[in-house]
Amino acid sequence: MQARLEAEHLFKVFGRRPDDAVERLRQGADREELRADGTTAAVIDASFRVEAGEIFVVMGLSGSGKSTLLRMLNGLLEPTAGSVRFDGDELTALGDRGLRELRSRKISMVFQHFALFPHRSVRENAAYGLEVQGVPRAERERRADEALALCGLAGWEESWPDELSGGMQQRVGLARALATDADLLLMDESFSALDPLIRRDMQDQLLELQKTLKKTIVFITHDLNEAMRLGDRIAVMRDGRIVQTGTAEDILLRPENDYVASFIQDVDRSRVLTAGAVMDTRPRGDEADCACETATPDTPFTELCAISARLSHPVAVLDADRTLVGVVPRQRLVGFLGDEQGEPAACDGSGKDGKKVTDRA
Amino acid sequence: MPRLPLGDWVDSGVNWLVDHLSWLFDAIRAVMEGMYNGIDAVLGAPTPLLMAGILAVLAWWLRGLLAGVLAFAGFALVDSLQLWDKAMSTLALVLVATVIALVISIPLGIWAARSKAVSAAVRPVLDLLQTMPSMVLLIPAMLFFGLGTAAGVVATLIFALAPGVRMTELGIRQVDAELVEAAEAFGTTPRNILWRVQLPLALPTIMAGVNQVIMLGLSMVVIAGMVGTGGLGGAVNEAIGQLDIGYGFEAGVGIVVLAIYLDRITGALGTQLSTSGRRAAARAPQRVWSYRPRPVVAVVGIVVLALAAGGIGVFGPNGTSSEASGTDVGKGKEIKIGYIPWDEGVASTFLWKEILQERGFKVTTTQYAAGPLYTGLATGQIDFETDSWLPTTHAEYWKKYGKQLDDIGKWFGPTSLELSVPSYVKGVDSLADLKAHASEFGGKIVGIEPSAGEMSLLKTKVLKEYGLNGSYRVIDGSTPAMLAELKRAYARKQPVVVTLWSPHWAYSSYDLKKLKDPKGAWGKGDGVHTLSRKGFAGDNPRVAGWLKDFSMTEKQLTGLEAKIQQAGKGKEQEAVRSWLRENPGLVDKWAPVSGEHAQSQAAG
Repeated sequence: MQARLEAEHLFKVFGRRPDDAVERLRQGADREELRADGTTAAVIDASFRVEAGEIFVVMGLSGSGKSTLLRMLNGLLEPTAGSVRFDGDELTALGDRGLRELRSRKISMVFQHFALFPHRSVRENAAYGLEVQGVPRAERERRADEALALCGLAGWEESWPDELSGGMQQRVGLARALATDADLLLMDESFSALDPLIRRDMQDQLLELQKTLKKTIVFITHDLNEAMRLGDRIAVMRDGRIVQTGTAEDILLRPENDYVASFIQDVDRSRVLTAGAVMDTRPRGDEADCACETATPDTPFTELCAISARLSHPVAVLDADRTLVGVVPRQRLVGFLGDEQGEPAACDGSGKDGKKVTDRA
Repeated sequence: MPRLPLGDWVDSGVNWLVDHLSWLFDAIRAVMEGMYNGIDAVLGAPTPLLMAGILAVLAWWLRGLLAGVLAFAGFALVDSLQLWDKAMSTLALVLVATVIALVISIPLGIWAARSKAVSAAVRPVLDLLQTMPSMVLLIPAMLFFGLGTAAGVVATLIFALAPGVRMTELGIRQVDAELVEAAEAFGTTPRNILWRVQLPLALPTIMAGVNQVIMLGLSMVVIAGMVGTGGLGGAVNEAIGQLDIGYGFEAGVGIVVLAIYLDRITGALGTQLSTSGRRAAARAPQRVWSYRPRPVVAVVGIVVLALAAGGIGVFGPNGTSSEASGTDVGKGKEIKIGYIPWDEGVASTFLWKEILQERGFKVTTTQYAAGPLYTGLATGQIDFETDSWLPTTHAEYWKKYGKQLDDIGKWFGPTSLELSVPSYVKGVDSLADLKAHASEFGGKIVGIEPSAGEMSLLKTKVLKEYGLNGSYRVIDGSTPAMLAELKRAYARKQPVVVTLWSPHWAYSSYDLKKLKDPKGAWGKGDGVHTLSRKGFAGDNPRVAGWLKDFSMTEKQLTGLEAKIQQAGKGKEQEAVRSWLRENPGLVDKWAPVSGEHAQSQAAG
């Protein structure tokens, strides 16, 4: 199946003689060596696929090259080497005019600091992309109002950006991106400038919208919790390279190197893990035979804990066909929360530690 | 160090341009003068108070009632100072210069904002244009465009260009890069990024630049007045030249009224044009003095006033019919006289203006600085002037332009150049006495314009002859500054040595001693000559004949000068008329029509 968006061996080097630099990077030179020569390798050999309807999060610290990577996906920056394919079309083959056409119809973008036009009203901002497309005024205002309503801004159309709070401004930014009906949404640290409560709201709203809109989204963030919450798949970047790509659980449970491992230390595992990741996949077979509460593989960790607290035995996990796929003993819950997945060691005491902890929780 | 002949290169460059690109300069000149004449005609068509009303309604619309009332009061003041026509021609000059400056500077600023190379190339040029003393650029501008409006516009333009370019560039560069990126991310074309994002957001800064352009333009009108643009700048120059403080102040107030009006109007225009400004204005509480009519009302008001103005212009008096008589030699032929605001020049110029008008010529008189005057004569834009001190004082000019000029003849002489001290200074009667009294005078000789022939004579010859080189320093300045210094010192009875010449009204106003020149270092006296452009005598043999035979006695000249001095600024011609009434027969003597005519007139 053809991916909606596909990046292959992308390089972006700023400075003199970028092609030479790419050659050296391919031969294994690292970023610091190039920096000594005054060239900056922002993105090194990045490859990934984003499927339609997927939220693909690129996670990295500042300077890791994630924003540069994002800007190559809609042609704002031209890759030094490598290729980007959108719906199978090579971006570099499009030329300026073709790229502009693509950006105005197929790919839209949401910015970190909102980038709303201060000289335009909320409605005019939301309608901007359509205006560029040349949609007649009446229609573009109707569609802009729809997009604003979708983002919870009905009634604010006549306001001006500087009259809105940060969260509302970013909703305008989101509405502006959605109004064009673009298939691909690029979000550049879109929620980073918001305070934590608003940020959560916006994340929830994005997930809510995504359920109905099914856009393809590439989301840039430096916040791993955000990445885990939003991302169907996550790419972790370090110093210009993608060091690991996978689902939130992949990253959390199977970090590929020390860098990723050190990164995930601070992550609130209970938010990310689901029953599917925690369960023992070798059930005896009779765990679901009672009439007690059961979980599905998608049940979040905290809910699983709550169920477990109400039961006197391990929680059975059933899939959509009501077939038993796994079982979660309490001990396992505690182990995953503490990043300790081995079997408990023998002890002289009663061995009821796990129960106590669970009870307190 | 070898001498770099930079000046020679510039000289030959300018000459080459004049020789080879005159068609281009003529075209530019035609455009500028066309614009100027059009705007001036429009501004000058209505009666002053009506025009003041139109300008006031504009202010009312853009800023509010109080601004409208003040604008009207300001322009009414200008009118009551009898400076209306001058103010309108200055306004027209500034508007033309501003429009051209903006047409050049805004695109240039946009270009500079988009390209670092252009920005780097433009910046030093702007520095040069803005800081090069304006007179230095004025003379080449005059060679290219001739005297009058075009040269004035160019001089103003050059000076006013820089802030337009800089503020436009700054405004566009200041636009948040993320906004530009957002526009790009939605597929906006570069042209639309400029129009939809950059220019609207840069507008307040650009308007501040426009404002600066206008203000600098206004500040240049005085300089531009030196090349005969007339208007308030010319009035200021005249006033300075004759140390007429009151008149200078009045003309200055006229410039200030224009400046404040234009400043506030462009400021308000900037607010009106930018979205944020409109929103701020809409939020501000409405009060009576800030009440502003809706644009439609304002436009209707202006149109009604303008129509009324046009009606008056059409049906009003259409000038006086020329007096036809046997003495009408000129039959309306135009003669242009140029003059330097020196007293004998003013007196003889207005004398000839009156005489030639009586003989049926249409005479225009325009005031210039000495350099532009000679340039204008040499290029044929002035017909004649009456105030050349030859062979000594103006020797430099004669050397440079003599071949392109005709010397019609001497009408007064001999003149003398001298250093003078107030008569209360004891013990100093001759140049030879100066050396011993150097400390008394502070080692200073108050000079006049460094370009004056007298100054170079003083510095190169007189000081040397009397051994004053070590003990005295000649202060370069200007004639008005010298006279002001003399007046100040005279009032306090302080010793002072000034550079003077005879005839000069200072000798009748103050009790001064001309220092004797036993060694004859100043040379023999000059004669005051009338110079004309090449070929003037061929075109106007009668006038040239009259001028050739013209001469005045010292008594006549000082009498006329005194009369003009008494009459005051702007009334020179009335003074000449009344002087001629007191001295009958002089017109016929200086401009005889023909034997029979004169006799028949005398008989009749």
